[in-house]
Amino acid sequence: MMAAPALRAQEGAVNDKSGDLEQAIADVATVDAITEGVENPEDVAATDTVADVAETKAEAEDKKDDDFNPKDIIFEHLGDGYGWEVPFNHHKRIPLPIIVWASDGLHVFSSSRVEHGAVYRDGDIDFTIAQDGDYKGKLVEIKPDGSVSRPWDISITKNVLAVFITVILVLLCVLPLGSWYKSNGYVAPRGFKGALEALYEFIYVSLIKATLKEQARRFAPYLLTVFMFIFVANLTGLVVVFPGGANLTGNIAVTLVLALITFLITNIFGTKHYWKEILWPDVPLWLKFPLPIMPVIEIFGMFTKPAALTVRLFANMMGGHIIVISLTLIIFIFAKMGVAAMSGATVVSMIFQIFMLLIDVLVSFIQAYVFTMLSTIFISLAQEHGHEEHKKADETQPQVTTTH
Amino acid sequence: MELFKPDFGLVFWMFVAFAILFLLLWRKGWPAIMKMIDGRADLIDKGVEYAQQAKEQLDKAQESAEQIIADARRSQADILREAGVMKDQIVEQARQEARAAAQKEMESARVAIAQERKEAEKQFRDQVSAFALDIASKVTRRELADDKAQTQLVNNLLDEIEKTN
Repeated sequence: MMAAPALRAQEGAVNDKSGDLEQAIADVATVDAITEGVENPEDVAATDTVADVAETKAEAEDKKDDDFNPKDIIFEHLGDGYGWEVPFNHHKRIPLPIIVWASDGLHVFSSSRVEHGAVYRDGDIDFTIAQDGDYKGKLVEIKPDGSVSRPWDISITKNVLAVFITVILVLLCVLPLGSWYKSNGYVAPRGFKGALEALYEFIYVSLIKATLKEQARRFAPYLLTVFMFIFVANLTGLVVVFPGGANLTGNIAVTLVLALITFLITNIFGTKHYWKEILWPDVPLWLKFPLPIMPVIEIFGMFTKPAALTVRLFANMMGGHIIVISLTLIIFIFAKMGVAAMSGATVVSMIFQIFMLLIDVLVSFIQAYVFTMLSTIFISLAQEHGHEEHKKADETQPQVTTTH
Repeated sequence: MELFKPDFGLVFWMFVAFAILFLLLWRKGWPAIMKMIDGRADLIDKGVEYAQQAKEQLDKAQESAEQIIADARRSQADILREAGVMKDQIVEQARQEARAAAQKEMESARVAIAQERKEAEKQFRDQVSAFALDIASKVTRRELADDKAQTQLVNNLLDEIEKTN
């Protein structure tokens, strides 16, 4: 028997627009409750039955609900969440730990406690997931005066767990190959390991080595890691059920971190020539003094590169997910128009979805490759030694030889 | 929109997880793989070079073998030709020697024959003279009893000598 909060949660989950419908359901529920109430002598049991019936009806109506909002569904699937959806059930989720630093300290509890808008009291503080407002879909702390604030939230959300799963999968893809070489020497591995080796070789030789030349070994570990992380995250993102289905690379936080690391590596390991090109580029004097027009543009360019990296991976992957979800939703939109329309829409939608998913497999690789390629290029641009340094090196060379 | 606002928790965990992943792979994963890829590429390059060299050497060896065979053929022909010439020479020499030997034999045979004949003639002459003397003695012994007959004989002999001369 579900308690009153659960019912409240249920009501919260039903869209605001279907208020009339809700009213109708409530009426039906009351009628049902009256008829059943006659059979049940105890009042407490009767109220529980009312709640139960109302809930089941609401659930049933929710599934049949024609007035659904595709936009909300799309963004719910694209976004992060406390808990991981399971197939064929809209209300049960795999609970995940919530870790927050609220106004009085650390709180750790299961996400199942705040499911469906329930309020959970941990210690002295009430927590809930905001249903609307600025923090919609996020865990908030309810202050005594009723206002909400967002605590420092490092919960293991769906996307965080997906990051961990991706990390483990990448480790499983890379580490066994090293141990293979230890025991087999130059013998080329077969099967899955062989395919992985071919992939690494493709990235390492034809991308990293070709661009970075003798610096390749220095930066290849990072670039290969980035490639594998994005590639695995992209592919698992295409798998609909747990442990896949998280829109990881279509989340701006993930791409932002990756782009930031590339940005840091580019600038920390940048050569003197790279910094000179930014701060005192080889242009006519009036372009850099007294108004530093070119340096400003160059510094701006430093930051547009990671921004471009962030946005293009995020947008590409999110786009792919939106298309597939939209194609699925077409079935439900057409369902309003009768069985024939729905059947037709289902067939067409499935064909297009399979086509799009196959393209997304290709896109998964291409986007991982492009991100790695752009990172490689940005790093290699910061590794250039200008002509002047070469000249200097040429000049110093004879001096050194004469002194000896 | 929520999608465009990076979430602090996700950024934090993403950074931590990615850093751990990178450190692990940086230390344990990629170096072995890169070393292997580079090493194998080197090995293949060297193998190709070695194969090319081996092929070149083989070609050279084949060439030299052909050269040797051609030389052998030529010298064989030369030897055969020389042998032919030598054979002719030997045969000629042998023939000449044989001829010379035959000549010598004939010469000596001729000498021997002449000698024999001389001896035979001498013997014959001796025998004839012996016979003649014998006959003469016999005749003389018988005929000298009769003067007339003696005279007759002498006359006859004288006649005979006259006739022959």
